[in-house]
Amino acid sequence: MAAYAPPMTTRTAPGLLVGRRPSRLAGVIVAAVAVATTTALIYPLKSLAPAVALSVVYLPAVLLVSAYWGLVLGLFTSLLSAAAFNWFHIPPVGRFTIADSRNWVALAAFVTVAAVVSTTAELARSRAAEAERRRMEADLAAELARDLLSGNDTREALGAAGRRVAETLAIPSAAIELRIATGDERRRALPLRGGDGTQIATLLVPQGLPGETAARLKRQVVPTLEALVAIALRRDAMQAEAVETAALRRSDDVKTALLRAVSHDLRTPLTSIVATGHALGTDSLSAEERRELSATVVDEGARLATLVDKLLDLSRLQAGGAAPRTDWISIEDVVMAAREGLTDRAAQIRVTIDPDVPAVRADAAQLERAFANLLENARRYSNGHPVSVHARRTDRRVVVRVVDQGPGIKPAERERIFEPFYRGPQQGSGPWTGSGLGLAIAKGFVEANGGSISVESLPGQGTSFVVSLPVAQDGVIEPEEVAR
Amino acid sequence: MSSGKPRILVVDDEHQILRALRVILRDAGFEAVPADSAEEALDLAAVQTPDAAIVDLVLPDLDGVELCRRLREWSGMPIILLSAVGDEDAKVRALAAGADDYITKPFGPRELVARLEANLRRTAPEPEEAVIESDGLTVDLARRSVLVDGSEVHLTPIEFDLLRLLIRNRGRLMTHRDLLVNVWGAGYGDDTQVLRAHIANLRRKIEPADGPRFIKTDPGVGYRFSG
Repeated sequence: MAAYAPPMTTRTAPGLLVGRRPSRLAGVIVAAVAVATTTALIYPLKSLAPAVALSVVYLPAVLLVSAYWGLVLGLFTSLLSAAAFNWFHIPPVGRFTIADSRNWVALAAFVTVAAVVSTTAELARSRAAEAERRRMEADLAAELARDLLSGNDTREALGAAGRRVAETLAIPSAAIELRIATGDERRRALPLRGGDGTQIATLLVPQGLPGETAARLKRQVVPTLEALVAIALRRDAMQAEAVETAALRRSDDVKTALLRAVSHDLRTPLTSIVATGHALGTDSLSAEERRELSATVVDEGARLATLVDKLLDLSRLQAGGAAPRTDWISIEDVVMAAREGLTDRAAQIRVTIDPDVPAVRADAAQLERAFANLLENARRYSNGHPVSVHARRTDRRVVVRVVDQGPGIKPAERERIFEPFYRGPQQGSGPWTGSGLGLAIAKGFVEANGGSISVESLPGQGTSFVVSLPVAQDGVIEPEEVAR
Repeated sequence: MSSGKPRILVVDDEHQILRALRVILRDAGFEAVPADSAEEALDLAAVQTPDAAIVDLVLPDLDGVELCRRLREWSGMPIILLSAVGDEDAKVRALAAGADDYITKPFGPRELVARLEANLRRTAPEPEEAVIESDGLTVDLARRSVLVDGSEVHLTPIEFDLLRLLIRNRGRLMTHRDLLVNVWGAGYGDDTQVLRAHIANLRRKIEPADGPRFIKTDPGVGYRFSG
C-alpha cells in the first residue's frame, strides 16, 4: 500500500471532499503548518479562556487534513495536535508530563473528538469520491453510447469510443477492434463478449496500467462496451438487411417496369405488322395504299430489329457481360461510324474534332453504340435543327459534347433520363418514337469503358450530353500504334 | 349513317395502325374515321356522329379510360378498347367507365369485325328470336325451356336469366357487373363469387364435357356467349 502512488492527473480537484487524494507529503506539511499555526494562535487566546479548554481550537486543522487526506493523516494530525498542546500549553509547559488529572481528561476528550471528526470527514470524503466515480462512469457510458450508436458506421465509431475510454481513464491509448485480437508485450487484450458469451470484439490497452485503472476497466468499461458494441453490431446487421431488402424491391420494381415496357414496345410494331399484313390481303387496295402498307411493314420490322438490338445491349450491360475489348481507338472514327449508322440522315450532324485529341483505350464497337444512341437521341429532340458534336482534350480526359437545340430537359428529369424506358414527356408520336433505352445504353457503354456521361441543359435552348473518357497514361500515341 | 356504311371512329396514336385499320374496316363494309389523339377523337365524335369507336388504351394526350368516360357522357355508341396483355387494370377501369368490349393486341381483323358487329347489334336490335338454336343447344326464351342434344335440362330461374342475358348479347362481352346488376339487382354488383358459382352450375348443365363451347370466360372481366 505504501508503494502505491496514485496516478497523477491533469484534472484539478473540483472541491473539498471530492476527487482524488492530493499527495501524502503535502498532507504531512499541511498538518504540521496547521498544528504550528494553531499552537501559536492559542497564546493570545489564553488571556480569554483557560488553556485546558482551548484544545478545541485544533479541530479545524484536524478537519481540514482529514477531509483532503483521509483518516490516517487525520488521526496523525489529532495526535500531533495533542502532543503540541501538551508540550506548549498544558502545565508543566515544555514537557509531555501532565500535572493536573483534569488536564488528562481534557486531552483524552480532545483526542477522542479529533478521531471522530477525522473518521466522519473521511467517510464523507470517500462517499463523495464514490459519487463522483459513479457520475463519471455514467458519463462515460452515456458518451460511449453516443459514440457507438448515433452514427451509421460502427467501425468508424469504434475509433472515437477508444479515444473516449483513453481520455476518461487517463491512459495513453485504448483501441476497440471487431476481431479476436491477442495482446503482446506492449498491449493487453481484454475480450468483449456478446450476450451469448462469444467474443465479438477486443479492447486493447497498454500493458502495466495502475491497478485501480485496470480494475475500473474490468469492472466498468468492459461491461459497458460489451453491451454497446453488441447493440451497434446488431443495428449494423439490421441496417444492412433493410438496405438489401430495399435494393431487392427496387430491382423487382425495375424488372416489372422493364417487362411492361418491353411488352408494350414489342407489341406496338407487331400489331402494326399483323394488321398491315391483313390489310394487304384485302382486294380493294389502291396502288398508293399498297405502297404505304408495304412501307409500314418494312419500317415496323426495322423498328422491331432496332429495339431487339437495344434490348440485347441493355441485357448485356445489366448482366455485367459487356466487358470491353479495349484497343487504341480514334474518337473521330467512332463518331463518324455512329453517324453513318443512323437510318435517317435528314437532320444534319456537324462533327468537330480538335487536332490535339489523342486516341483513347476503349472498345470501339461499344463506344460506337454509345454515340449512335446519343446522336439518335439528340436528333430526335432537335426539331430538325442541326446537331453538333465537338471533341476536345482537357488535362487528362477527352471530352465529347453532343449538343442539340431541342426543348431542353427540366432539372427534375435530368436524373431520370438515363433510366431504362424513361421517355421525355415532350416526346411526340410517330414512327421514330424512342425506345427509352438509348441513353441507358449510352451511359452503360461509356461507363464500361471507364468514362462518365453527364447532361447539361437549358430548358428552351437545348441540351448537351457530355462524354468524358480518360486519356491513357502515356498520353500521345505513336500513329503506327493507332494503326495497328 | 347517311352513306349507308356504319362509321367507326378509330383512335390510336400509331399512324401505321390507323392506316391498316382503315383498309380492314373498309373491306368489312365500314367507314373508318381516324383520330390520332383523344382531343381529335372528341371533336370527330361530336361532328361525325360515328356508330362505334375503337379506342387504344394508351394515348399521348389523355388516358384511354378517361376518353371512354368523356365519350360515354353524351354518346351511347359501342366503344371497343384496343388493349395489351398487362393492361388488365386499365382495361377493367375502362369497362367500368363505359367501354363495351375490348380486343387484345395484336389482333386479327376477323375478330375485330366480329366484335364490332356484335356490339353494333346492341344499338340496332334485331327482332328478338323466341327460340335460339346453336350447336345442339336449343333455348326457348318464351317457354323458358332448354334442350341439350334434344333432351330437356332443368335450369334454376337465376341460371335461366343469366343464360338469356348472355344469349341476347351474343358475341358481346358482359362484364361481371353487367350480369350481376341485371340478374340480381343494383345492390349485388360486386358479388363475383356468387356469379362464378352460378356460371359453373349453368355450364355443367349445358356445356359439353370437354370444355365450354357457348359461355366463354374473359378472365377477370366477364363472360360472353359465342354460338
